[in-house]
Amino acid sequence: MKRFISRFSLEYDRSLLYMLQASEYNLRDYFAWYRRVQDFRAVQKRKKLVWTIKVKALLAMEWACIAAVIIVGIYAVNDYPLLLGLAVVLVFVGCLTFALPYLLALFVFVGQLVQEPVEMTLINRAKATLAKHKGFKIAIAGSYGKTSMREILRTVLSEGKKVAAPGGSENTPIGIARFIAQLKGDEDVLIFELGEYYPGDVRKLARMVQPDLGVITGVNEAHLSKFKTIEAAASTVFELADVLGNAPLYVNGENECAKKEQRGGMLFSREGLDGWKVVAPQTSLDGTSFTLERGNVRINARSKLLGLHQIGPLTAAAHIAMHLGLTVAQTEAGIANTKPFEHRLEPKEEGGVVTLDDSYNGNPDGVKAVIEFLASLKDRRRWYVTPGLVEMGNRSEEVHRDIGKQLAEAGIEKVVLIKNSVTPCIETGLKEANYKGEITWFDDALKCYESLPHMTAAGDVVLLQNDWPDQYA
Amino acid sequence: MKSIAVIFGGKSAEHDVSIITAHTPIIDTLEASGKFDVWPIYITKEGKWYCDKRMNDLSFFKNPAYEDELKSWKTVDISVNDGFTIIWPGLMRKTQKIDIVFPSMHGTYGEDGSLMGLLRMANVPFVGCDMFASAVAMDKVLTKQVVAAEGMPIVPYVWFTKSQWNKEKEVLMREIKKLAFPLFVKPVHLGSSIGMAKVKAEKELEQAIDVALHYDNKVLVEEGIDPLIEITLPIMGNDEIRCALPERPLNKTDFFDFNDKYLSGGKKGGGSVNSEYSEIPAKIEEDLTKQILDLGTRVYRALDCGGIARVDFLIHAETKTVYVNEVNTLPGSLYAHNWKKAGVSNMDLVLELVKLAEERFAAQKDITHAFQSDILKKVGGPKVQT
Repeated sequence: MKRFISRFSLEYDRSLLYMLQASEYNLRDYFAWYRRVQDFRAVQKRKKLVWTIKVKALLAMEWACIAAVIIVGIYAVNDYPLLLGLAVVLVFVGCLTFALPYLLALFVFVGQLVQEPVEMTLINRAKATLAKHKGFKIAIAGSYGKTSMREILRTVLSEGKKVAAPGGSENTPIGIARFIAQLKGDEDVLIFELGEYYPGDVRKLARMVQPDLGVITGVNEAHLSKFKTIEAAASTVFELADVLGNAPLYVNGENECAKKEQRGGMLFSREGLDGWKVVAPQTSLDGTSFTLERGNVRINARSKLLGLHQIGPLTAAAHIAMHLGLTVAQTEAGIANTKPFEHRLEPKEEGGVVTLDDSYNGNPDGVKAVIEFLASLKDRRRWYVTPGLVEMGNRSEEVHRDIGKQLAEAGIEKVVLIKNSVTPCIETGLKEANYKGEITWFDDALKCYESLPHMTAAGDVVLLQNDWPDQYA
Repeated sequence: MKSIAVIFGGKSAEHDVSIITAHTPIIDTLEASGKFDVWPIYITKEGKWYCDKRMNDLSFFKNPAYEDELKSWKTVDISVNDGFTIIWPGLMRKTQKIDIVFPSMHGTYGEDGSLMGLLRMANVPFVGCDMFASAVAMDKVLTKQVVAAEGMPIVPYVWFTKSQWNKEKEVLMREIKKLAFPLFVKPVHLGSSIGMAKVKAEKELEQAIDVALHYDNKVLVEEGIDPLIEITLPIMGNDEIRCALPERPLNKTDFFDFNDKYLSGGKKGGGSVNSEYSEIPAKIEEDLTKQILDLGTRVYRALDCGGIARVDFLIHAETKTVYVNEVNTLPGSLYAHNWKKAGVSNMDLVLELVKLAEERFAAQKDITHAFQSDILKKVGGPKVQT
């Protein structure tokens, strides 16, 4: 009933536009969301509709349609008695509210048809530019950790090379094409993230980029709702290996699935890689340090990145740096410049409370790594705050129960859960593992984040794990 | 869910500070806990009582026209007949029984024991110091007298009332001149340094006293300590006492005034009372810290404080002599910024204070206040004397 009534609210069309925008105009995701919504008045919670040109154009088309229906309706009922005519027009408009979601989708679809040739032109131009570009091209694929790997590589390699990489999470053909259009041509190294949403995506991007070297950060349940099986996700991520041929491939050896698939790639981990051995690894809230040794060569690594799980990617970056001719000193300096990236285990200290913003980390391997890091912090009261992970598909319950067990085993003192479909599974996992700490529930994330400053005191460490975008509500 | 009323505002010079304390941290935290049905009771500067949940949001009071808006609201009645009940009178009469009261009133009528007396009559548990401690702590002179009687150090002082000043000004001035300058002139019942002045020369004295008497009818003139280290210590508990961290206000002016305490800075993190004005923990010698903690605990017990209080000290920076200065039974914003640094979150603090209130109430229930007597039957008889 709420769903029915809320269709006639003033927020209805704004909610539909927001759903399209938040779904990145992916009609499959948009309709999946549309089918789930129970109240169209309560859709914009975490973010708000941004009034882009595209949104304004859609709204204008929508209102043009509504006006047309009213005019046609009035014309059609011209001979009817006034009240009957009015009733018929109102029925017309009522029907339109049900047709509106499909009408907007049609506009988007038509727009995409128009947009596609333009984008294809941009992409083809980018391919041509890249083919001529002398820079060393590195491609990164994986279900998770791509942006962190990109930023580590960018920072380390920048110590001796001119490096360019797209900002944000530009990992689609058009995103990469726009980035390539901005290149000056004198870059030594180009780094690309290859996004994967459906099978074939990585192959398409890798063919576009034609990489000289590849890095696979891992394969897990992230985006599983789209891939359905881990095998399908792995197969898509390893499309990079197919395109690379004999070019070097680095594979995260700490990820079981990637390790199993491997495809002849070099495994990197916190133990080292390719004969390089990691010695004396240490981590704290101040950063991570270790020494990389092979024969008489030693690289003393001091990074501001947090957690022992960062050693693998840092080691891979050091190896790639040496491969590209950076000296030991340059590599050490590059590693020293690495620091936490925005929303990825990013520490912020206020009033003695350290908040670790890990809101962009929403995958089981990342969660396991940060719980391991939290567990290593002694003499502090530790908080783990999460709305759970999205897109875990049919493994969602298992993944979340496992998170609960990990938290219980790590002895995390306070677990704060935000109510949604998956967090009860975390609670189940906690109880199954005889969790001794305190569980606090919040109805929504904003209320939770507002309350946290009241709940914490000096000496506390608060980990904010993942975000729960509106489209998963 | 327990209902809790937070009472704030009131006919006090610290009216606005009380609004801040009520919201940050009290109401915000009680609401965040999800454990209470929070009812804000606001008393205007004229003494009118209002209760509406819209006032749970501090932004209501940030609106400059909030007092005008209140004029269109109905005031509430309070019943103290076996419990504390809020009554919205009129045709649509509504009542709300309150399980616990959280007083958040600074200064007169609120922090001076008046409100506590009302709450005792209502037989409702309430947070913070009881009536007796509140009344004594509100009077800086009475506090000094109790502290001195318990053998704790205080600075030399003279006190007098307005009528004494008017009648015996010369005698009092002779007494005051025996004190060593600089002197501090303070209204006896006001907090937040309102109406207070530092007097460096005799010629400034009368004006400072006149200002103090403008705010109060009882005035304290005491010796200033120079060079001075001010230390303040928040304390919590009933029978078991827990101290927060000794805190040193970092004064920009000659004394720690209202602006220093509430208005300067306004940086993030410590709640609405400025958390940047002080050093926590105070960087003083370990021995002085021990003395502060010991004296603080003794003062808290001597005044029979309960729930929460803050004891202020003066230290002579060269001789390292520690003096007890005054006691505040409702520290601004509960001194949550200090507790936080001591490892006590706002949530821990506020919920603990509620728990302490309930414990004290339960303990008081065991005390016998009345007994059966046949004195009425004997009225008029030969043995009854009046």
